[in-house]
Amino acid sequence: MVLPPYLKQYVASVTEWWSSVKTAHSVWRLTRLYTGLLLSVVSILLIVLYQLSIGQMNRQQGLQIANIIAQQTLLAEQLSTEQFLEQFELQAQSSRQYILSYQTKKELIGRLSEIPTTLSQCPSLSRFPIWLDQFDELRLVSGCSQSMASGALIIAVDDESLYELKGQFISASAVALLLAVLLGIITGLVFSMRVLKRINSFNQVALQVESGQLSARVAISEQNDEYDHMALHINTMLSQLQHSFETISGITDAIAHDLRTPMSHLRQQIESEILSKRQLNLPTEQLQPMLDKLDEILFTFSAMLELTRLQQQKESNSQYFKTVNLKQIIVDAVDLIEPIAEEKQQVVNIASAEPLSIQGDATLLFRAIYNLLENASKYAGKSAQISVQLTHRGFTVSDNGPGISDIEKQKVFQRLYRIEKSRSVAGFGLGLTLVKAIIQLHNGKIELLDNKPGLIVNVEFVD
Amino acid sequence: MRILVIEDNQTTRQYLQKALQEQGYEIDLADNGQDGLFLALEGDYQLIVLDRMLPKLDGLTVLSTLRNAGKQTPVLILSALDSVSERVKGLREGGDDYLIKPFALSELLVRIEILIQRKGTHSEKITSVLHVADLKMDLLSHRVFRGPTEISLQPKEFKLLRYLMEHNGQVVSRSLLFEAVWDYQFDPQTNVIDVHMARLRKKVEFDGLTPLLETVRGVGYRMVEQR
Repeated sequence: MVLPPYLKQYVASVTEWWSSVKTAHSVWRLTRLYTGLLLSVVSILLIVLYQLSIGQMNRQQGLQIANIIAQQTLLAEQLSTEQFLEQFELQAQSSRQYILSYQTKKELIGRLSEIPTTLSQCPSLSRFPIWLDQFDELRLVSGCSQSMASGALIIAVDDESLYELKGQFISASAVALLLAVLLGIITGLVFSMRVLKRINSFNQVALQVESGQLSARVAISEQNDEYDHMALHINTMLSQLQHSFETISGITDAIAHDLRTPMSHLRQQIESEILSKRQLNLPTEQLQPMLDKLDEILFTFSAMLELTRLQQQKESNSQYFKTVNLKQIIVDAVDLIEPIAEEKQQVVNIASAEPLSIQGDATLLFRAIYNLLENASKYAGKSAQISVQLTHRGFTVSDNGPGISDIEKQKVFQRLYRIEKSRSVAGFGLGLTLVKAIIQLHNGKIELLDNKPGLIVNVEFVD
Repeated sequence: MRILVIEDNQTTRQYLQKALQEQGYEIDLADNGQDGLFLALEGDYQLIVLDRMLPKLDGLTVLSTLRNAGKQTPVLILSALDSVSERVKGLREGGDDYLIKPFALSELLVRIEILIQRKGTHSEKITSVLHVADLKMDLLSHRVFRGPTEISLQPKEFKLLRYLMEHNGQVVSRSLLFEAVWDYQFDPQTNVIDVHMARLRKKVEFDGLTPLLETVRGVGYRMVEQR
């Protein structure tokens, strides 16, 4: 079966809506709760109403019937059978509302021409049809029989109208309940959607903060309700968090910054010493390792400061963005890592879709991609397969090495964090933090996935 | 060879002076932008080493004033660690090279050497074939020969060798090589360039032929013709 495209779209949109509704558990829960409440209230109201109207009539009828039975029983006790039957005949003829008959062994007196086959014992009533002259039609009446000393008393009452009323009441109730359900679902959905939309805005902000955007804040409406109070508190809390976070990183940066100057002077001293010794052909083996150590420290300091700048001064970093060809950058990065990978018998390949261009800084992107490749080469082990794939929204770098556990996946982007088993490899735990900062500067997202075995680093740029 | 150093930090200034004098350059010093600009406009220098942050007159202002006045002296900008965009700014204002502090003196010396040499090669006729000893590179057909044998090189290796041949006899640093071949401005920090060079060496100096590429300890590489 081939569906026309507009129908396909429609089906797709409905499916999407449905799945979004289905995943929003709370919407359903609240709606169900609300509808349930509404239904209970309406049901109670209906029951009370029924008891007050139709129930009342029913009880009246029962009382009347009981009265008649009591009266006739009394008469039957006080009068002889002859007299009793006589007065009964009269009573039966004159009674308008009640159809009375009396069945003795010999005859049936009263208004019924015969006794219905199904007749319950009083006080419970059963319904049977009779022909009524006054209406000139067949009508359903309710009646019962009460056995007495000399026979059985049959009382029937024409309750057609009451019966109809009952039916109407029941169908009206059914409609009312259905409406209540509909109303409950509709208002419940609207109401809970509105509530949850606000809660979701909180969740969105929480997610943004999790991903490192400490500047994210919850929007506050004009209603000044509990949500707004909560939003205010959360925003205040976030501001304080951001402030202390910036203070902390400010302190580490200040330390790095202030130490760099004396360190670079130290570096200059050692280096000029080396240069002087070389001029005189003196050995410099003792000084060179010092220089290398100093360079490591200085490099870490520089990386820390650079990180902060990338994370904090988005505007000044992105004002020089140009259109860059991501594929070219990937090719360049793979060219650079290739001989290093070759030494470990690793294969690096580029699987490319169509070329992708984004607004960005070529050098920074190159560093990010090269860093990811370097990590893959460092940690994936001998003879690993490393592949870079251009997707239509970014790129992935994957390997078939040991991969990273789920717990560590969260942590590897933190500053100076190093995986236990990688401590033997040179590095400072700033590489991935820097990569993430660069990707975020380019409005991108970076996530780590399992390649089973190995790691996939997935980078997507949002326009 | 006269070099003007405009740098406000006394320690750095002294080390620069010492290192450059040891290399045989004559040095003039200025510790602020104003004096530096005055000296640069009046004097006749082969090169100016200019700090980016200066009292009295900012380094970039010094540079643009100098260029507007028609002085084409090569300028090497020194700057505290700054974002890449800062570097772009400096080069756009007419700087010829850009070093980020803290820098290695050896790196600075190599770059000064290259800048001064480059100034001198402008008069040379443009050639499409490079020769170093029996190594021949045809820039048009992208083919490389060592004697009669053709050497097959990957694009990046070709660029690497070309840069070395163009700077025949000069020491080039790893980061200069990286910038020349990859055209991204940062220091890869690892021995990755050495690995590339080792691979290139194998291809150029096959079968025990005369070595043409020598390692300059602590600095970088140099192409040498041994006659």
